[in-house]
Amino acid sequence: MTADAGEPPTGTADASTALDLTAAPEAATADVPGELLAQSLGQYVRAWWLRVRSGNSGVLPVILAIVLVAVVFEIVTPEHAFLRPSNLVYVFGQSTVYMMLAMAETVVLLLGEIDLSVGAVALFGGVVAFKLVQQPGPGWPWWAAMLAALIGCGLVGALQGTLTARLKIPSFVVTLGGFLLFSGILIIVLGGADGNVSVRSSVPNQRVIYDLVQGLIVPTAGWIALAVVVAAAGTAIWLRASTRRRHGLVAPPVSVTVIRIALVAVVGVAVVVICTINRGSSLVTVEGVPWVIPIVLVVLGAWTVLLQRTRFGRYVYAIGGNPEAARRAGVRLVAIRTWSFALCSATAGLGGILLGSFFFGQYSTNTADAGQLVLYSVAASVIGGVSLFGGRGKAIHGVLGGLLIGGIAYGVSLLSLGTLATPLQYILPGGVLLAAVLVDVLSRRGSVTRA
Amino acid sequence: MPDIPVTADPGETPTGTADTSTVVDLTAAAEVATADVPPELLAQSLGQYLRAWWLRVRGGDSGVLPVVLAIVVVAVSFQVANSKFLSSQNLVNLFEQSTVYMVLAMAEIFALLLAEIDLSVGLVMALGSVVVAELVQPTGADWPWWAAIIVALLACAAFGAIQGWLVAKLKMPSFIVTLGGLLILEGVAIIVLGGALVSIGNSHYTNEVVLYDIFYGRFDPVVSWILLAVLVGAAGAGLWLRDTRKRRNGLETAPRSLTAMKIVLMAVAGIAVVAICNVNRAHFGTIEGVPYIILIVLVVLAAWTVLLQRTRFGRYVYAIGGNAEAARRAGVSLPAVRIWGFVLASLTSGIAGVLFASWQVSLTTNIIKTANSYVLLAVAAAVIGGTSLFGGRGKTIHGVLGGLVIGGIYNGLYLLGVSSQWIDVVVAAVLLAAATIDVLSRRGAPRQA
Repeated sequence: MTADAGEPPTGTADASTALDLTAAPEAATADVPGELLAQSLGQYVRAWWLRVRSGNSGVLPVILAIVLVAVVFEIVTPEHAFLRPSNLVYVFGQSTVYMMLAMAETVVLLLGEIDLSVGAVALFGGVVAFKLVQQPGPGWPWWAAMLAALIGCGLVGALQGTLTARLKIPSFVVTLGGFLLFSGILIIVLGGADGNVSVRSSVPNQRVIYDLVQGLIVPTAGWIALAVVVAAAGTAIWLRASTRRRHGLVAPPVSVTVIRIALVAVVGVAVVVICTINRGSSLVTVEGVPWVIPIVLVVLGAWTVLLQRTRFGRYVYAIGGNPEAARRAGVRLVAIRTWSFALCSATAGLGGILLGSFFFGQYSTNTADAGQLVLYSVAASVIGGVSLFGGRGKAIHGVLGGLLIGGIAYGVSLLSLGTLATPLQYILPGGVLLAAVLVDVLSRRGSVTRA
Repeated sequence: MPDIPVTADPGETPTGTADTSTVVDLTAAAEVATADVPPELLAQSLGQYLRAWWLRVRGGDSGVLPVVLAIVVVAVSFQVANSKFLSSQNLVNLFEQSTVYMVLAMAEIFALLLAEIDLSVGLVMALGSVVVAELVQPTGADWPWWAAIIVALLACAAFGAIQGWLVAKLKMPSFIVTLGGLLILEGVAIIVLGGALVSIGNSHYTNEVVLYDIFYGRFDPVVSWILLAVLVGAAGAGLWLRDTRKRRNGLETAPRSLTAMKIVLMAVAGIAVVAICNVNRAHFGTIEGVPYIILIVLVVLAAWTVLLQRTRFGRYVYAIGGNAEAARRAGVSLPAVRIWGFVLASLTSGIAGVLFASWQVSLTTNIIKTANSYVLLAVAAAVIGGTSLFGGRGKTIHGVLGGLVIGGIYNGLYLLGVSSQWIDVVVAAVLLAAATIDVLSRRGAPRQA
């Protein structure tokens, strides 16, 4: 085999000459993912299982953990309330912030660095966007305010990235300083320790920002949007697989492609069904998919394309896997690292805007603890399956990890724990973070490639 | 490497050329200055010593020089901005406030020397403070003060041992382990506090009074002078005797004039501190004398300096920080030394916790926020003091001096009426500046990180 992870022609695409390339244990543990070589569903599943066993388990653990958390909280919460549609939609709204921050953190973790400033930068971005749409005040249009906030956050990230990449100051120190710096600047922008800023749904320009998390898509439009999204995603997956097959490239079996499309459709239908059930009271109807779900999907799509399909993404993985090797291969470490920190901070800024919207358009110094947000986002990415040691992970891991963290946080708040409730809000994420890192460390030890 | 007529290692190598007639200026060769042997060790006159020291500073290993300069800059600029800054009243206040930063920075140095980091020092401090305060409550456990302190320190050390075990044995990154530890301790501290306010300010209970006096108690002025004389006498005699013994045995020794200078410097600094503290600093009545807490910091400083500079454990810490793989091949047990490093970091944080409890008198859940910001201050103090973030370079004294800079910045900005969020901004800038200097000075140094 001369296959590399790119696009190696195999020349054996017709089934008659197919060899079970996954049978050799080397194939599963070599750099080529075994699934790429599989030519039937059985082989594919076997190759996938081998990969899971060797420590590279992808999204499987986090999905199992989400199911486990959902079941456990449904059993232990009073009146078995956890899986009610209203709670599920609320959990999702809360989780979107963690998802954004976790996706932001993921790109930096992929480089083998860490960004401890995401929480403070997110709050900073949110407050800047909220401040810019104030009337009386700057009174910017919502899109200009959000753009300015994201660019501002991106510049912060670029600065931190420059310090890390050029001066080679350890990233945790730079971003620790950035965390402290922006925690202070945040309060200054807010106008003092008791300052606050809000956007109201009654002002049309501010309503867009208010609606990012609070706004709902009417059920009919939700179904239509779902149909469009599933059709588009399905066509894209199908076309890509068939193009590869036609060109004689390594492609997953047709059955795997079909299963993937079906999964996307099932998950989409489930989400829309849950969101379409009336979750208000008998007097007020509250139904429909929150705007934030398509927003998260768009960001997830953008990050996935950037990391999996562009040269930039390949360089990020290369640097995370082995910086020296990447450098010798001609990758410009400084540029890639600086850009990654900038994109990380911009994504965090979007998370901060969503956070303000989630809290009904209110921003004060008590809205969120920047330190806790960082821990949640690092924990979410690592729980999701992103390695702390660089080079392993995807944007989707951040989303799933964020959902898990959000679910745990909300589930705990549903329990009537009395005085234990507050301490558990700290202890649980700490414990979950340590457990996730422990799994990461142990799985790396079990795998063939050494850290 | 060209041949250099000595094979000295930093240990105790006899040269056989101790008599001055055959003295060669060993510091003249540029290679010597950049080699592993500190050239000061080879200097045989004050001039040579100073020249060698300057070469070392230029080579990036500047020791306490930058932090001493920083202290001078901080003192001068704040004095210009507000003439109260250098008043004896404010200076004593500043010393007292800085002590907690100093002790926390000394704790952080154990982790930094090992090329690890401990982000939990602030919360371990909070744990120590709430445990000690809870245990002496007359309505609760009602333990004697010494038992409360011992248990608090043991609890902190045990927590450090767990973190160290995770880092050393399971090879988890230390900043993640201690970040998780920090979070868990936030919860634990709230549980121990039980949502209520805990105070040690009741003057009717001896145990509470003793704890209160740790921070607020002071020696009588006369006792302060006697204590100073004893301390300087003992330290001076110790220094002098050590040098004399080394010289007699034909070992590398600093010149006699230098030893004398060191002793004089120590005496001058001591006299200055005692003189400042002995000025009556009360608006009404009398408050004078050296606070106990200064002596406590000196004891911790002395203990950890001896541990790091004069024992096998200390040498192993530096060896691991310099090059862990080389240390392992030389037979150093990495897990044991690392675990002990984290235990000592947490134990020292616990000491800071006892000081903190005494300083705050009443503890509420607000201490968690304070403790979180202290982590950054501890790292900043250690790095500003001259401890490297990359391991293997730094001393306990750096933590004390760095803590003084941080305390000075806080105190000075507060005197100027700057709000706390701007102070955070300034401290962050100082941390980044210190880290940059650390990185740049390492780049200038001949040995690569």
